[in-house]
Amino acid sequence: MKRVFRIAVWTIVAVVGAGALAKIALHRGEPINAMWFVLAAVGCYLIAFRFYSAFLAARLLVLDDTRATPAERLDDGRDFVPTNKWVLFGHHFAAIAGPGPLVGPTLAAQFGYLPGTLWLIAGAIFAGCVQDFVILLFSIRRNGKSLGEMAREEVSRRGGFIAQIAVLAIMVILLGVVALVIVNALKSSPWATFTLAMTIPIAMLVGLYLRFVRPGRVLEASLLGVALVFFVVVAGQWVAESPSWAAAFTFSGVALTCALIAYGFAASALPVWLLLAPRDYLSAFIKAGAICCLAAGILFVRPNILMPPLTTFIDGNGPVFSGKIFPFCFITIACGAVSGFHSLISSGTTPKMILREGHARMIGYGAMLLESFVGVMAMVAACAMSPGVYFAINSPAGIVGSSAEAAAHTISGWGYALTASTMTDLARSVGETTLLNRAGGAPSLAVGMAQIFSSSIGGPRLLSIWYHFAIMFEALFILTVLDAGTRVGRFMIQELGGRVWKPFARTSWVPGMLIASALIVGMWGYFLYAGVVDPLGGINSLWPLFGIANQLLAAVALVVATTILIKMGRLRWLWVTVVPMIWLVIVTMTASYQKIFSANPRIGFLCFAQTLGTQILAGKIPPEKLADTRRIIFNQRLDAMVTAVLALMILVLIAEAIVQWYLLLSKRKPATLHETPYVATAWGENYSGLAHGDD
Amino acid sequence: MLQKTRDNSLRPLRRALRLLWRGVREWCGDAAYEQYLRSRATQAPTEAHLSAEEFYVERVNRRYSRPNRCC
Repeated sequence: MKRVFRIAVWTIVAVVGAGALAKIALHRGEPINAMWFVLAAVGCYLIAFRFYSAFLAARLLVLDDTRATPAERLDDGRDFVPTNKWVLFGHHFAAIAGPGPLVGPTLAAQFGYLPGTLWLIAGAIFAGCVQDFVILLFSIRRNGKSLGEMAREEVSRRGGFIAQIAVLAIMVILLGVVALVIVNALKSSPWATFTLAMTIPIAMLVGLYLRFVRPGRVLEASLLGVALVFFVVVAGQWVAESPSWAAAFTFSGVALTCALIAYGFAASALPVWLLLAPRDYLSAFIKAGAICCLAAGILFVRPNILMPPLTTFIDGNGPVFSGKIFPFCFITIACGAVSGFHSLISSGTTPKMILREGHARMIGYGAMLLESFVGVMAMVAACAMSPGVYFAINSPAGIVGSSAEAAAHTISGWGYALTASTMTDLARSVGETTLLNRAGGAPSLAVGMAQIFSSSIGGPRLLSIWYHFAIMFEALFILTVLDAGTRVGRFMIQELGGRVWKPFARTSWVPGMLIASALIVGMWGYFLYAGVVDPLGGINSLWPLFGIANQLLAAVALVVATTILIKMGRLRWLWVTVVPMIWLVIVTMTASYQKIFSANPRIGFLCFAQTLGTQILAGKIPPEKLADTRRIIFNQRLDAMVTAVLALMILVLIAEAIVQWYLLLSKRKPATLHETPYVATAWGENYSGLAHGDD
Repeated sequence: MLQKTRDNSLRPLRRALRLLWRGVREWCGDAAYEQYLRSRATQAPTEAHLSAEEFYVERVNRRYSRPNRCC
């Protein structure tokens, strides 16, 4: 009877999920309600988790709950801490969820809602979650080794080195592009700039409290900080309304660039407890709160999706970023569907805290499903505003013009009705002077979120507060990625430098620390600067570069996973990692090739450089812009080179892995796994890790 | 007597709230020092352990030296 009931429930879930998916895929004409997106996504996730992840756990990975995990064997109360399943789920999710799944889908909405939504769901189920899950388990079985170490041991020394360089390169591009998202959200906005600037002293206050007043009492200190952050969001309005204060907090893109570079350097060089850690605590609380609010808002308001399923821009001429739906939709979505960066969290941090192997299914596979759902919500928020407004916010001035009239004229010409007064009224109602040409996804997502929130609480009167709350939320956790990433990048540079000259690797050596910090900040700062002065908005060239790098890292993780699976003799189920790996390689290689060699100057880096070069020769560039144009030409060539180097490195790694696979499969080489030997757990079946002592 | 029955009926709720509170404290790192002391007490009871402040500074230094925030 129970069995029949279970079958009935899962059949209903499957039917509802499939029905909702069919509804959003085949729907034409009238606006469709956002609830269909929620139903389709949740239905697919439940089915995938119940069946596909169970299959992976039982057949591919053969999870063994009787095997003691590193947290039990090596418990040191610091890195190796046995942690309750749901607490670790929260940890892992907070670590993997960053700005990527919010920005990527917002940008990809220019193709219409359909391609992005389908890839968010399918990509997560068959690629992203699989990658996170298998890497997590392999790292658990190796005492929490990092992806780079696993690549070195299981593939080859060169493989490990390539993975390490790839991680550093991705970090640099990632930091450059997320910084650009902040700059585009803050430029000429005194309200947002003031709010974000104030979070720095607030974080320091929290840091001092946590160090000297009540050491380690994170909860109370963070709640105090969060209350102060809410206050400065509201106080930003008074700053924006006072002419003299507003002038003091109005900055150009280049000025903000310099400020961010200085901030990144300071965060990397200052003691962690003073700025970096407390900011991260604040950001974690606000992130969790804002994501819950967004979900609740969508369920409560149930907005209509005004964006069509497919726009005309699938042909590659989109204003937000250029390139056809294949491969650029998949490159742009990035983190919400599959993110190579997650393999760095799945190896190294989370495996040292996991209580049992069986928990890896919920934490590895499940947390990524939730991240994909965040991506779907971002897609809903972007598509719930009128398409004309969406394009006006996200298109660079070089394409739609910099005045509201020009933008309205151009965008209406594309078939998406927009009047100049819509844009000026909207800007006024959210407390900004202009919302035009703010490529990067953050402002349009904030408008979407503000519209959803203000329909539930406060109405139009609170629209401006909600908008700046959303901007603050995004900017705050982008800054967290920026400072945490800069610091980690600094350690990577010091480690690499230490191979050449030993003292450089000593993290406490001040000159080494300063040089490494300056190097990492200089590298991402350069990409940021290049993006800010780019006439096409920067996002157009940098976001695809980031997407390519991130997806390439995912391919690396899947190559490592496949090698380990071959050594484990799981040949029958090898397609589980091989199919997404091949897909990622095809997508990234096509995208890299097009970004470098395309004959369309809006896509191809080299072609754009050549076009500008011809214009200089023909005397079409006015003399005062000559130096700028030369610099843009240099930046385009640099971008082309970076793309080529990344693609080449990954091809070398894959070639290396294929040689290994051949040797292993033809038995020319013995399959030596580097797993730690089996040790039986001493914990009872009901041990949850949370209830120490009294329960 | 009446007091006692009411207490009993609320017991599952109180237990759930207590677990939730504990979960939140462990999630955000508030309970990290207690976990450390507990771990030291069972793993190496004779060795000296760090003070709350030393532990906090060491913990954040370790935590932010490797990738722990993603895109």
